[in-house]
This record gives sequence, C-alpha cells and structure tokens, in this order.
Amino acid sequence: MIASPLMLMTVILPLASLFLAIRPQWQTIYRYSLPLLPLPAILAGLMAELHHWLELPWLLIGGLWGLDELRQTFLLLTSVLWATAGIFAVGYLETRKLRPFCLFWALTLTGNLGLIISVDLASFYSFFALMTFAAYGLVVHERTDEANRAGRVYLAMAVAGEMALLTGLLMAAHQAGSTLLTELPGAIAESDRSGMIIALLVSGFGVKAGLPFLHFWLPLAHPVAPTPASAVLSGAMIKAGLLGWLVTLPFGELSLPAWSNTLVVLGAIGALGGAALGLKQVRPKTVLAYSSISQMGLITLMVGAAMANMEQAATLFSVIALYALHHGLAKGCLFLSTAVELPTQRRFRWTLWLLIALPGFSLAGLPFTSGAAAKLAMKAELKLEQYDFAVAEYLPLIMTAGAVATMLLIWRFIWTLHQSARRGHNHPFKWLGWVAATVCSLVGFWFLPGARSEAGHSWFVLTPGELWSLCWPIVVATAIAAVGWFTRGRNGSDLG
Amino acid sequence: MTTGALLPVFALMTSLTAAVIIFTLPEQKHQLRTAVNLIAAVLKLLLVGLMIWGVFQGREYGISFPMIPGVEFVLRADALAMLFAGLSASWWLLTTVYAVGYLEDSPNRSRFFGFFSLCVASTMGIALAGNLFTFFLFYEMLTLSTYPLVVHRGTQQALRAGRTYIIYTLTGGAVLLFGIAMLHGFSGDLPFRPGGHFADMSPDLQAPLTLVFVILIAGLGVKAAIVPLHGWLPTAMVAPAPVSALLHAVAVVKAGAFGIVRVVFEIYGLETANALGLLWGLAAIAAFTIIYGSARALSQSDLKRRLAFSTVSQVSYIILGLCLAGPVGVAGGLVHLVHQGVMKITLFFCAGNYAETLGIHRIDELDGAGRRMPGTSVAFTLAAFGMIGTPPLAGFITKWTMGTGALAAGMDWVIAVLVISSLLNAAYFLPVLNRIWFREQKNAWPEERQWGRFETSAWLLWPPLITAGFLVLAGLLASASFSPLGWVELIVAREVDL
Repeated sequence: MIASPLMLMTVILPLASLFLAIRPQWQTIYRYSLPLLPLPAILAGLMAELHHWLELPWLLIGGLWGLDELRQTFLLLTSVLWATAGIFAVGYLETRKLRPFCLFWALTLTGNLGLIISVDLASFYSFFALMTFAAYGLVVHERTDEANRAGRVYLAMAVAGEMALLTGLLMAAHQAGSTLLTELPGAIAESDRSGMIIALLVSGFGVKAGLPFLHFWLPLAHPVAPTPASAVLSGAMIKAGLLGWLVTLPFGELSLPAWSNTLVVLGAIGALGGAALGLKQVRPKTVLAYSSISQMGLITLMVGAAMANMEQAATLFSVIALYALHHGLAKGCLFLSTAVELPTQRRFRWTLWLLIALPGFSLAGLPFTSGAAAKLAMKAELKLEQYDFAVAEYLPLIMTAGAVATMLLIWRFIWTLHQSARRGHNHPFKWLGWVAATVCSLVGFWFLPGARSEAGHSWFVLTPGELWSLCWPIVVATAIAAVGWFTRGRNGSDLG
Repeated sequence: MTTGALLPVFALMTSLTAAVIIFTLPEQKHQLRTAVNLIAAVLKLLLVGLMIWGVFQGREYGISFPMIPGVEFVLRADALAMLFAGLSASWWLLTTVYAVGYLEDSPNRSRFFGFFSLCVASTMGIALAGNLFTFFLFYEMLTLSTYPLVVHRGTQQALRAGRTYIIYTLTGGAVLLFGIAMLHGFSGDLPFRPGGHFADMSPDLQAPLTLVFVILIAGLGVKAAIVPLHGWLPTAMVAPAPVSALLHAVAVVKAGAFGIVRVVFEIYGLETANALGLLWGLAAIAAFTIIYGSARALSQSDLKRRLAFSTVSQVSYIILGLCLAGPVGVAGGLVHLVHQGVMKITLFFCAGNYAETLGIHRIDELDGAGRRMPGTSVAFTLAAFGMIGTPPLAGFITKWTMGTGALAAGMDWVIAVLVISSLLNAAYFLPVLNRIWFREQKNAWPEERQWGRFETSAWLLWPPLITAGFLVLAGLLASASFSPLGWVELIVAREVDL
C-alpha cells in the first residue's frame, strides 16, 4: 500500500518546505529544493494503486483522497510540469524576492496537486482556493504596475469564481446528501435545479479554465508572472478548472443538448476568437496566453460533446485527459523557451529554434508528436453520427479552423520570440529545466499512463488519410503566414 | 452539596477572587499581579475543562437558591453553557497574556486588570446562568465592568465612546429587564430548558409572547450589535486592543448573541418561536445587519474601525443560523460563536501589535508591514481569510454548515446573503493583505519601537499566533469530535429535538 503515504507526502512535502522561508539564510536551500517538491506526486502518479481510497474522516467535513485514471493523468501532467518548471526556476530566479517566490510557489503547488488527489468536496475546494490565492503572489511577483493591475483583475475574477463554485457545490452537495465528489454528478442530474447548478459550476471553474468572457484575467496574468510561473499557470493550473468540470458535472447521467450547444459555441469562440486576438499580440508570452485560451476552447468542444452523449462520455474523458496532457506539457515548454537565451554560435541556434518550435508544431498536430495523437483521438471521438445536438454538425469545421488557427498562432509566437530573443549565456539549471520539459513533451509523453492506455492505438502508424488530415492545416497556415510575412514588408507587427 | 455542584461556583469565583486580589495590590507589584492573573486564568481553564469533560459524559453541574420570593439564582453547566464558558476561559488566558505585554509601563494597571477579571467573571456567569434573572444579573455586571475598560485611556475620545457605550448598554439592559419582568408576570420564573416552555401554549398567549420576544431581542440586540442598535460598537474601538479583542470576540457582543440563543432555544423553544413567525423577522434583521456591517466596513480607513464594522456583520451570522430552525443551520450559527470569536480576537491582537510596535492605526500605513512583522502578519492573514470564509479555515465551516442548513430549511435566499457577505469581506480584507505583503514600505513607521529579539514583544506575538493556529485547526479538524463543530453538534443533539 504505497498509495496512501505517497498521497500524504504529495501535500505534506511542499507544505513542510514553508519552514525554509523562515530564515533569510536558508533561501538558497529553498531555491534548490523547488524541483524536489513535486516528486512524491510524480511517484504517486507512476506507482500508486488506482482506486485506493485514503480516508481522513476528521478532515474538514470528512476527507477522502485517491486516484482514478483521470486523476492519475492530471496528477502526472501537473507534477511533471511543476518539476521541470521548478528546475528552470532554480536558474531563472534572481536573489531579490527569492523567498516570497519560493513560498508562493510551494503553496500554489500544494493546492494544484492536492485538488487532483481530492475525492471529497471540501478538500478539493480547499486546495482549489489555496492554489487560486497563492498564485496571486506569483502573478504580482515583479511588482510592476502592469503586474499589480493583472493581479487585481485576477483576484477579482477568481473571488467571483469561488463564490459561484461555493453556491454550486453547496446546492449539489445538499441534493446529494454527501460531500463526496463522486456523488455529485448523479445528484445534479436528479435535482430540479440542475440547470442553475450546472451554470454555477461551469462558470465557477470556467474562470480558471479561461472560458470566453470569463477569461479576461488570463492574458493579463499569465504573461506577467515570472516565466516558470507562467508555464505552470498556463500548463497546469488552467487544467484545474477543466478537472473541476469533469469531476462535478453530470456526464454519463443525462443528455443535456442545450448545455452541449452552449459549451460548443463557447468553445468555438474560445478556439477561434482566442487565436484571432493572439495574432495581434506583440509579446511572445501574451501570444501563448491567447493560445491557451484557444486550446482550452478546443477541449471545451469535447466537454460540450460529452454533455450530450451519455454513452460517449467515458471515452471522451480519456481523450480529454490525453489532450490536456499533451497541451500542458507542450505549453509548459513554449513558455519556458521565452526565457531561454540564444547561443552565439549559428548552428546551435538553429538546433535550438527547432527544439523551441517542435512543441508548437505539436500543438498544431504535426504527425508523430503528442499533438497528432491528441488531435486524431479527438477527431475519432467527435464523429458526427454520434451526436444530435443542434451545433454538432459544425464540430469538424470548428476543429479544422482551430487547427489552422493554432498553426498561425505558433508562427506568430515564433516571430515575436525571434524579435525579442536575446543572445547570451543561460544558467545551467535553465538549460536543464527547459530540456527536461521539452523531452517530456516530445518523448516522455508517450510513456505516461494517460497516453499509453489510449485505445491501444499505435500513433506511429498513420494512414495516408490521417496524415493528410493532420498536415494540410499546417501547410495552409504556413502558406498564409508566409504570404502575410512577405506582403506586410516583413515588419512583423501584424504578421498573419 | 457535592463537589460537582460546586464546580460552576468555583469557576466563577476564580475570576472574582482574582479581581478582588488585584484591586488590593499596589500599582507597582507588576510581577505579583501578573502571577495572580495567570494562575487564576489557568485554574479557571482547568475547571472549565473538567466541567466540559463531565458534560460530555452526560453529567450536569448546578446550584440554585432563592434570591427573593419567586426568583431563583441558578447556575447550571450544560452543553450550551460550556460552549460559551470554554470560549471565555481559553481566551481569558490568552488575552491576559496579551494585555500584560500591551499595557507594559502604562498607568492604572491595577484598575485595568481588576475590571478585566470582573468582566471575565461576568461572562462566566452569563454562560452558566440557569434562568433569565441570573442571566440579567451578570449581563448588567458585564456592562458595568467593561465601562472602565473602554474609558481606560481617559482621553476625550475614550470618554465620549464610554458615554455612548454606557447609554446604549444600560438602555438595552433596562429594556431586557422590562421584558423579563413581563414574562415573569404571566408565566413565573422560567429556568432555561431545552425545548423551551411554550410548546403547547394557549392561543391567547400568542400576542403577548410575540411582544415579549420583540422586547427581549431589542434588549439583547444592543450588545449583539444588531442594526440599528449597533452604534456603540464602532465608537468603542478606541479602547485598548486587548479590550477590543475581548469586547468583539468574547464578552460583550457574544453575551448578547448568547442571550438570544438562550431565549430562542430554552425559553421559547425553536419550534414555538418558528411557529409564532418570530424567526422570520429575526432572520430578516440579521441578514440586513450582515450586509450592512460589511458594506460599512468597506469605507473605513481606520483598521480597528473596519474590524468593528466587520464584527457587527459577523455576529449576526450566529443569529441568522438560529433562524434557519433546523439542526444543521443551528449548528452553523452556534459554531460561529466560537469561530467568529477566534478569528476576531486574532485580528484585534494583530491590530494591536501593529499599533503598539509600529504606531500603525490607518490601513494605508500598513504598506510593507509583512516584512517587518511576519508573525503578526501571518496570523492576520489567516484570520482575514477565515472571515472571508476561505476553506479550510474556521469561517468556511460556518459558511458551509449554514449554507447546508439554509438549503435544508428551504431558505435559499440565505445563500445569497452568505455570498454577498463573503464578497464584501473579500473586498475589505484582501486590499489590506495586499498592502501588508505586496506593497513596499513608503514612509518610516509612524512610531516604531524595538521590543526584544522578535518582531515585537513575545507577550504580544504568541497570543495571535496561538489563536491563528486554532482557527486553522478548527477548520481542518472540523469533523473530529473535539472540534468546536463536534461540540456544537453535541449541543444540537441535546437541545433541538427536531
């Protein structure tokens, strides 16, 4: 029974690290311990038995922790990303304000990991709140006017989201007569106020997940944070909102075509609108933040589809988890690469650009990358004949447009990064963190349980049809980008 | 008479004796006074702990004798009494420690600690009172013993605040006495009894009972700071910080709220009060007070004043919880008696630390205080998040329990009140936290003093750290049987037969 101690350590280790913040002399130790904090969670994700429940009856209003397939994937994604970003942070951080950064880092990490292993509502909500409030410290770390403004917007929207969650969870738990998350979906389905509960939960978690019209904080807050924090904000924490949807909404219980329509429309707005706004940005990290909104929009399409089709919900879940895993790892790399300084030798520079661009191409679905696996799985699941809600027929169109938009946005990112990148020397830990993240995204992905188990499909043997469907959006987007680049006199500011 | 019967008397006597000894001690006997204070406080905590253990096992302690014909003096330790007695005894100890540090080198300490002990004796009496008359005696004694504490500094402002305080509370006391006399007139001397006395009353009693209820609540509502009877509370914040901590967290406002609990539970009976339609009116007033207090807190620039309006708001959570008239809602209200106490006492301790160590009184002077006083600021932060109702802290347990109770009672609008109040709490606490932790210090501290090797005197630092630890544990371990929530569930099981 290794699951229980690993789950406890997942939370206790980062909390215990707070003691290192007590004395200024210990801040160097704290800095170097950052990559170690998510280790118990990685081990739990790899080794812990699934469906082993750790009962903590004295905790809050009754605690229950554990892992299932969905949570395992999310835990691995989150812990790996925090670990690589933690390595990067060791090299990235300055000595100034080092202690507060480490403190908020550890607290946010505790919340982000803890909410994944929580099966009871109060633990989940507690960790969610801890992550939300502690992340404020990461967002405003630089204390510039811009960071403070972003922090204010972030906090205001987060508090509003928390209140929506509180109300929704209270109503759902009252209906369920239980405080276990596993009981909520069924209870919500039976409630005569299910519409209101779903609306509250969709919007409450939607703030974190960057749902359109609840996203305003995201392009402000993700880029202003220190780069390793941006990576975990956009790669891991954004997924907490998604996980919240998946574990509370009544999937597989009810067919709710109205909600499917709403979510698919919102997903489409996020996927395409996010990309459109992203193309106008001049700073690479802001481009990436909009790309996150766009990618979360694509995932929202699947969430919407799962609301309509009871039978498909379970398989869609594994695809959603796969997509989240892929996007999280890739987005983490991309964010880290914005702070990597280019080597002075020409040939190294080219290799580096290739490695920076690959996770981006992966987002666009380049064959033999994690993105190709995610996109093909998504396409296979969102086949038309399975759905009969009103806007279902537009799903393929939205996905195709989304793929083109994603690739355009990646070109935009590469361009803006090229404009702003500096040459110089990188701290070895920065190299190590970035390389580790890239390896995880390009190679490690295939060995993680979430990707391995997906339908037994061999993603390395593609049919010509699949190959074509993956490649042509990339080609079209690249062509558009090239045309844009040449016609706008190469000035770059409005490429695409 | 067995020792069991004497336990409540002993508990009362420890503080009274301490008061008498301290009044007779010369001013300069600082160490002896402190020793008397601490020994009495520890002794009382032990006695109360002993009683709590006994009550938990199902024993009841009590004593009664006639005062004047038809009126008994009754002391009785039941589960509800122990909630308030436990609160009072534990915070007396901490507040004493804090006050010793706070008043170091200030004049008139003998007077201060004397009345302080009297005040604590009064709260113990209020907790243990077994009927309305005994309750009233200690309720008035509390008024009289807190007045010298409010005006302790003797400044113009303090005297003015004291005048307001005494006018409000004496009037409230008179109204309360009038209500008690009316009640006595048509039903005799009523001991507090689970389920109340009017479960099967005759219909012609309905009108007078309703009237008496309004009068009793009006009398008690002054101390509980129900709008529009709250005017004294924000003014009284000129008192020294340990007094504010006591007024706001344990003694005065809680005495009012506790009185309302006794009247609703054990004079009228929850069901009867509900059947008479009395709880609706009370719920509406409590809800209004909650929102009003929070809204007023937003616009205060003085830290203690902001906290005072926050108290106005938070105490009415207790009353609103009662009005939910179901076991869960009632538990939510009662547990807030403890939770609000521990959170607010922490906040006032911290406000006092900022004032005494750095001379900070206004919120805009707090910029960068977290760096200078990390321990105090951590405690303040935890308490503020608790007030907002952030999980896993004590305030969340209150909010969650009350919310569940509201849904069970079909009073969904209460959720809206809780949410609006939480939003307002966030709106007036988060900017303060932002200043403490994320702003750079702009000017020199208004009046800094170096105080030993910690950020401030250890006497001042430890009490808020301990209470902050308690408010974390009260939330984290809420489901353990020894938590405040666990105890409240025991009370509800014994009190409310629903």
